Amino acid sequence: MPNSRVLLRDELGKRVLLLGNEAIARGILEAGIGVVTTYPGTPASEIGDSISEIAAEAGLYMEYSINEMVATEVAAGAANCGVRALTAMKHVGINVASDLIMTLAYAGVRGGCVIVTADDPECYSSQNEQDNRFFALFSSLPCLEPSNPQEAKDMTISAVEISEKLELPVLLRTTTRVSHTRGPVVYGKLTKPQLKGRFIKDVKRLVMVPANSRPKHDVFLKKVEEAKETSEKSPYNKVVREGKGRKIGVISSSSAYNYAVEAIDLMGLDASILKLGMTYPLPEKMIGRFLKRHKKIIVIEELEPYLEIQVKAIAKDSAPNIEIYGKMEKPYFAKAGELSTRAALVGIATILGTKLRIAFEKIDAEYADVAKELPSRPPILCAGCPHRASFYLIKKVAGDKAIYPTDIGCYALGIAPPLNVGDIMICMGASIGAAQGISKATSADTVAIIGDSTFFHAGIPGLINAVYNNHKVVLAVLDNLTTAMTGHQPHPGTGVTGMQVPSERIAIEKVAEGCGVRYVKVVDPFKIKDAEVILREALQHQGPSVIVFRAPCVLMAIREKRRKGAEPLIFRIIDKCTNCMACVKLLGCPAIIVENEKVGINEALCTACGLCASVCPYQAIKCGETD
Amino acid sequence: MKEFNVVLAGVGGQGTLLAAQILGTAAIKEGLDVRVSEIHGMAQRGGAVVSTVRMGEKVLAPTVLDGQADALLGFEPLETLRNLKFVSEKTLVIMSDEKIPPTELSIKKMKYPSMEEVIAKIQRFAKNLTVLETARLAKEAGSILTQNVVLIGALAATGKMPVKIESLMEALRELVSAKHLEMNVRAFELGYKYLRDRTRSKRL
Repeated sequence: MPNSRVLLRDELGKRVLLLGNEAIARGILEAGIGVVTTYPGTPASEIGDSISEIAAEAGLYMEYSINEMVATEVAAGAANCGVRALTAMKHVGINVASDLIMTLAYAGVRGGCVIVTADDPECYSSQNEQDNRFFALFSSLPCLEPSNPQEAKDMTISAVEISEKLELPVLLRTTTRVSHTRGPVVYGKLTKPQLKGRFIKDVKRLVMVPANSRPKHDVFLKKVEEAKETSEKSPYNKVVREGKGRKIGVISSSSAYNYAVEAIDLMGLDASILKLGMTYPLPEKMIGRFLKRHKKIIVIEELEPYLEIQVKAIAKDSAPNIEIYGKMEKPYFAKAGELSTRAALVGIATILGTKLRIAFEKIDAEYADVAKELPSRPPILCAGCPHRASFYLIKKVAGDKAIYPTDIGCYALGIAPPLNVGDIMICMGASIGAAQGISKATSADTVAIIGDSTFFHAGIPGLINAVYNNHKVVLAVLDNLTTAMTGHQPHPGTGVTGMQVPSERIAIEKVAEGCGVRYVKVVDPFKIKDAEVILREALQHQGPSVIVFRAPCVLMAIREKRRKGAEPLIFRIIDKCTNCMACVKLLGCPAIIVENEKVGINEALCTACGLCASVCPYQAIKCGETD
Repeated sequence: MKEFNVVLAGVGGQGTLLAAQILGTAAIKEGLDVRVSEIHGMAQRGGAVVSTVRMGEKVLAPTVLDGQADALLGFEPLETLRNLKFVSEKTLVIMSDEKIPPTELSIKKMKYPSMEEVIAKIQRFAKNLTVLETARLAKEAGSILTQNVVLIGALAATGKMPVKIESLMEALRELVSAKHLEMNVRAFELGYKYLRDRTRSKRL
């Protein structure tokens, strides 16, 4: 679907509808960034994917790195040779890269180095909704926060400039509603990327042994002071509206800014608005002046009270008697979940004691009446997904008593009934380590579930630990030959790179053998009988065992079939069906439907994987046959 | 001009994202400000999905406030119900009658509500409802996959959206591959004609 070639057009002043992430990709091209790295993760994925499509033509280097840590290392390495670099990741990716980032802050960079963190308020596709603005505060690294796609592009370029001026990496923090919003973006000039720089050997600057770190910490703190001046003068920090009465002042940033302004306009409220786009360091003097000329301050922000805490600290000196409202003392706005125009309206009205024009309670009451009878429709494994076959098998052999630590990816959807595989899932790679603790602390069979891309990302150290400490766990690697959940990006097991050229294909079974695992097998999850035998053996094995369940992601397989023009196969239910419902109860496949208490197959959804045919006790599901 | 807000509700894989992008691209061609919100990633895997398109002289938030949709495009009846909180008496509700039963129904042996029940519920919120046989129209156009464009055609026929048909056609040409363009144009026309004829017959 993404048509990234649009991003390459050298049309100064052209207004184009771009996704926030595509706008960042355009910013990369306008800033002349030479090295782009990423590990895919929603809502950041399209930054790397757009660049991957056009990197060769644009003349820059792009890679899907093995994880966010390595992605940041590669970007920082290039930036320390004077080449402009950007790395993009989802918010939790910053946790992985944090070991590097905290000390890279001391060492600094020479070429512009931008670290994009795409936060996910409301956990649309994430395990938590951490607010990475606190990561800026924690690391003291400058942070820019766009509120729309145009700003996302502009701030990508500004982040590079600030980074070079201060010789520091700069965070560019988006949210789902910036990264995944389309809006008009006006094109600027493209800059030819510079691919080669020079590494200047300078041990005092770059080798962070204690003797060097101590003085570098002081140097860093001086740069932070300089960054404060940059923030005071930043065009992204400005009073966008001066209220007539100058009683109420609203401070906001990022996606929250959009909701705040819409709420103020809907209420017809006379308020000044201070919009912050550079949110670390904050422009303390500018905020101080803003506080002084108002009586009430309302801080409207998404997730944590990041601005509110700091605004209150600034007020202590500049306007000690001012009233500041947000989410700290009283929750006028929620800390959890996504903000909305409605939440902004309700929060402001509660603070000011005004009545709202829109009767939300009435809408809620009427809607609740409809909603209570609605069946839920959570995301599920696709019809024909090989993971369904793997889960069916694992469950059949290891049973309900076994414990199944699982991991980050499509296969987390295995928790849905009737498969119910997945007992603990925290973060990338944690399945393997957790399985070892659980296996030590119980006598249950422990089967850890991990995907191919996640195995490469964070699974290998855990596996080595299992071998070294001889933990009796089974590791089921569900290898669908792609990074499916985030949009089918390649990984080391695919033999293709981000530049879309062939490369060494790294086989998971070889890695496992190399780590010292004695029992390693590869199975086709659709060949149920063979796989069953192997799974039973693995459960008996004393020590760690690895089974790679290998079958391509069905979405990829269908696309490939369509490209080749192959006739789609169709499975049908024949007369022998007794309506025993085994297929429904065992598999939960969306292509198997029950209508008027009779089982049927939705031909539009069926991908002819044949799994239902192999579990049917009456051989009543056949390929291509009619009644 | 007040903004025009469209909510597109369906099931992951039904083409709501492309439909939203077509509307947004057409609005850009009219020189309007636009915000399109999308949900990617895990939510797309056969789950309930919502996209919103807002267009006008100046738009800030990508999402639509409760009760403030000018149009709700329902790609699936249950998903239309799930998004009624965006709907008020003024909202145009244009819905496909193509049922996609959630897996929960089979597993819990629950029944999909009848079309009459669905319509009755929608009418508690909205006065203006059109139900289209999108699957039949899409197949007539050449592929079941063009149901999203059938719905856009129907929305265009209301004449309420501040976007010219030529702009929508131009957006289609930009976003749909040359190979599939013809059938998508047909799908648009079938949706357009269906709603126009129905509106006419009502007036008679």
